[in-house]
Amino acid sequence: MISPRGCLFSILQPVLLRSNPGRLVSRSAVLSSNRPRIPLHLRPPNFSATVADLKKWHIWAKNLVSSVGSTFLDLDNGPDSTLLQRELTWLIQDAFENPNKVSFQNSNDDDSVVSLRVCLDDLYKMWKQRIEERRPFQYVVGCEHWRDLVLSVEEGVLIPRPETEMIVDLVNDAVNENEELRDGLWADLGTGSGALAIGIGRILGDPGKVIATDLSPVAVSVASYNVQRYNLQDKIAVKQGSWFEPLKNVEGGLAGLVSNPPYIPSDHIGGLQAEVAKHEPRLALDGGANGMNDLLHLCHGAVFMLKPGGFVALETNGEIQSKFLVDHMDTETKGSFHDVKIISDFAGIQRFVTGYKAR
Amino acid sequence: MSFIILKRLRNQNSSLIINNPGLKIHLYTSFYSSLSEPRHRNSPTPIYNKSILASGHVFLCNRNNWFSSLLREILNIPCVPVSARLLSSQAAVEKSTSDGLTVEGIIANGWNIYDENESDWKSHASAIAQSIHLIKKRLRWKNLIPKLETLSDQLSKPDLWNDPVHAGKISREHGSLMGKMKEVDAFEQELLEHIEMIKLAREENDAELESESQNALLTMRRNIKEKELEALLAGEHDSCSCFIEVQAGAGGTESMDWASMVMQMYKKWAERRGFGVSVVDEMPGEMAGIKRATIRVDGEYAFGYAKAEVGAHRLVRISPFDSNKRRHTSFASVAVIPILGDGFSRVQINESDLRIERFRAGGAGGQHVNTTESAVRITHIPTGVSASCQNERSQHQNKASAMAVLQSRLDQLEMKRQAEMNSEHTQSLTDINFGSQIRSYVLHPYRMVKDHRTDFEVSHPDSVLEGDLDGFILSFLSASLDKDEDAHL
Ligand SMILES: C[S@@+](CC[C@H](N)C(=O)[O-])C[C@H]1O[C@@H](n2cnc3c(N)ncnc32)[C@H](O)[C@@H]1O
Repeated sequence: MISPRGCLFSILQPVLLRSNPGRLVSRSAVLSSNRPRIPLHLRPPNFSATVADLKKWHIWAKNLVSSVGSTFLDLDNGPDSTLLQRELTWLIQDAFENPNKVSFQNSNDDDSVVSLRVCLDDLYKMWKQRIEERRPFQYVVGCEHWRDLVLSVEEGVLIPRPETEMIVDLVNDAVNENEELRDGLWADLGTGSGALAIGIGRILGDPGKVIATDLSPVAVSVASYNVQRYNLQDKIAVKQGSWFEPLKNVEGGLAGLVSNPPYIPSDHIGGLQAEVAKHEPRLALDGGANGMNDLLHLCHGAVFMLKPGGFVALETNGEIQSKFLVDHMDTETKGSFHDVKIISDFAGIQRFVTGYKAR
Repeated sequence: MSFIILKRLRNQNSSLIINNPGLKIHLYTSFYSSLSEPRHRNSPTPIYNKSILASGHVFLCNRNNWFSSLLREILNIPCVPVSARLLSSQAAVEKSTSDGLTVEGIIANGWNIYDENESDWKSHASAIAQSIHLIKKRLRWKNLIPKLETLSDQLSKPDLWNDPVHAGKISREHGSLMGKMKEVDAFEQELLEHIEMIKLAREENDAELESESQNALLTMRRNIKEKELEALLAGEHDSCSCFIEVQAGAGGTESMDWASMVMQMYKKWAERRGFGVSVVDEMPGEMAGIKRATIRVDGEYAFGYAKAEVGAHRLVRISPFDSNKRRHTSFASVAVIPILGDGFSRVQINESDLRIERFRAGGAGGQHVNTTESAVRITHIPTGVSASCQNERSQHQNKASAMAVLQSRLDQLEMKRQAEMNSEHTQSLTDINFGSQIRSYVLHPYRMVKDHRTDFEVSHPDSVLEGDLDGFILSFLSASLDKDEDAHL
């Protein structure tokens, strides 16, 4: 059984991490100190509580939700109580061993005991952090559902966004059109949790491989963990380093390149909703003065890295950045790409730029 | 000893005498010889047995010559040429025990049906016979034979498989009808066999055999009760899973609260029945309740049962939202959509005909926003039909769920279109107007739930709202079958 101290520690860990964001640590030291946190739903059900106690907790949690109303929404476009209510249901799903067997409505089974993956104290703390500190729900439960994947995430790694899912569809279309690409070498630059690399790794053919890179050691360790969870360690290599640096030996050899690099203009970051601004890593968000630093760098690099006919897909901030990038490709890297397109996400925002390296 | 003999009899299928002159004599002979031979050798009382056989023989002969043809005339049952069509013979030939007891005869005897625990074989037999009767009625037994014949004719056409979808449908329907007929046939046979056993056991004073047969009868009684329910669900899509959709009527918060109570009722009902339940789409009301919601109910016969709930549900109560404590009437509409399985032809959806939108996505999105909200709405542009899902944890899964709802909606639309084209089409359940009022739930000034279609009512609304709906559903299903089915037996 896990001691009460262990229970406390699991909660404090992210706080400790956050209190020291700027620390510089050597790579090996980081890797050893950065054993990724196991997502809540995968932890063993070593704890228990009575239905009566859980009911109390649930009522308390629901009241906290109702007290939020639309204040976060009005304040900084944060979550409203409907959304938080749904997150509470999901927390129960992840924290209870048999979530479907527990009912808070029946009054007769108060004494029965429920198996939990965290102690009751931690359940209180988790929900308090969610509401009072605006800690992102995905960090609280340690995972994000993305496409048909459940990816481990924790402080220090960007929580993959729903919009980004579409890049995998774009890649899928590209490999369907050209089987050669399906069996080639792909790169996901700034892989974060490994979302894109894993999504793409699962649609490539047998010989197809992915290299996933990130500058952040936390991202590298979390991505590696996720790659292993999906048993793709033979298909996906996770490497630490800045953008193309870990790819020097495959110059001109990539069948495809995808990236969702930081693209938020530096001075916008302070105004973002608390979940993002206070909790997600700045390294994953800050794209420089106009947010285009990394996008332009990647665009130039793609010219050298892709083989003729290779596919590139980049995520941007929206219409202005997408158009800027396409313009740039037409002028600065003239003749290097063809079939350059802007593609909108499901909210109608011009989110992605795709193209093929000229033959 | 007698047990072994009876076993042998059973294997030879000769304890039943079939009401066809040629066949009967043959079976009767083998029955007689197999029974009498060892008996002469081993049993001290052979005379007794002979007398049963003799009386049975006489009775059956008589009956066959004039009684049954008279019966046929009176009841206007067409005489199906037995030798020509094996299929028809199964249904048309009436089975009986050696002393001429038939299933219809058991019913005509009107033996009292007692509780299962009463070990009275007549009671069991009577209950089973009643169930068989009901099952036949529900299967539209009389229509079954001509239908089966039409299907066999179609199946034997050489060009049938030119249209594989049609062919598949025909052969599936044929197989399923055949299966049902055989099943009922087997029930009748089994019942009569057990009775025969009991009679013989009594004559033999074989207590062990008697109680064994009695238990077999009891087991059969329990099993056939289940089948009786299943026979209510003989519609083409009844075995499918389904979506249940609840929409609040006019009247703001009051109705939205009622809609969420109705949805809750179905969730609980489905859970009780052991179906899988998941919320696909839910649009909460501003103050309380829901504007609309869709749940997915997974399990065998989910659609068959749930389709009985289509229509408007009315609530009368003192509104908890009215500070003046006035009485309010609210409405919620229920729609049920079958989820067609692989065996059915489904509407082909063109990717390019779809508009996929993320809703409630304000602002810049992407890295700016961290939200667990990834609701998706898919619109099929040519028909304007749309579906949305917001309860999954990823956009990808929301999209897949919404797509499943959209597919089922389009399938249902197509089924309706085809049914309307079909001249034989009579009003089917799925046509029942979404808005026609089917049931009232009164919480004040008295307490009652009443179904307006069947007049089925109960005086405890709470348990109904807790999902105790089977009474309503079954009474409606039997009533809607019985309405036009009495004539078909
Ligand atoms: C917006 S996040 C995207 C993460 C992930 N690909 C996704 O879509 O969820 C940007 C990622 O780029 C990484 N990054 C930032 N600067 C980098 C650099 N110079 N080289 C490599 N990766 C970098 C960040 O650590 C972060 O993981």
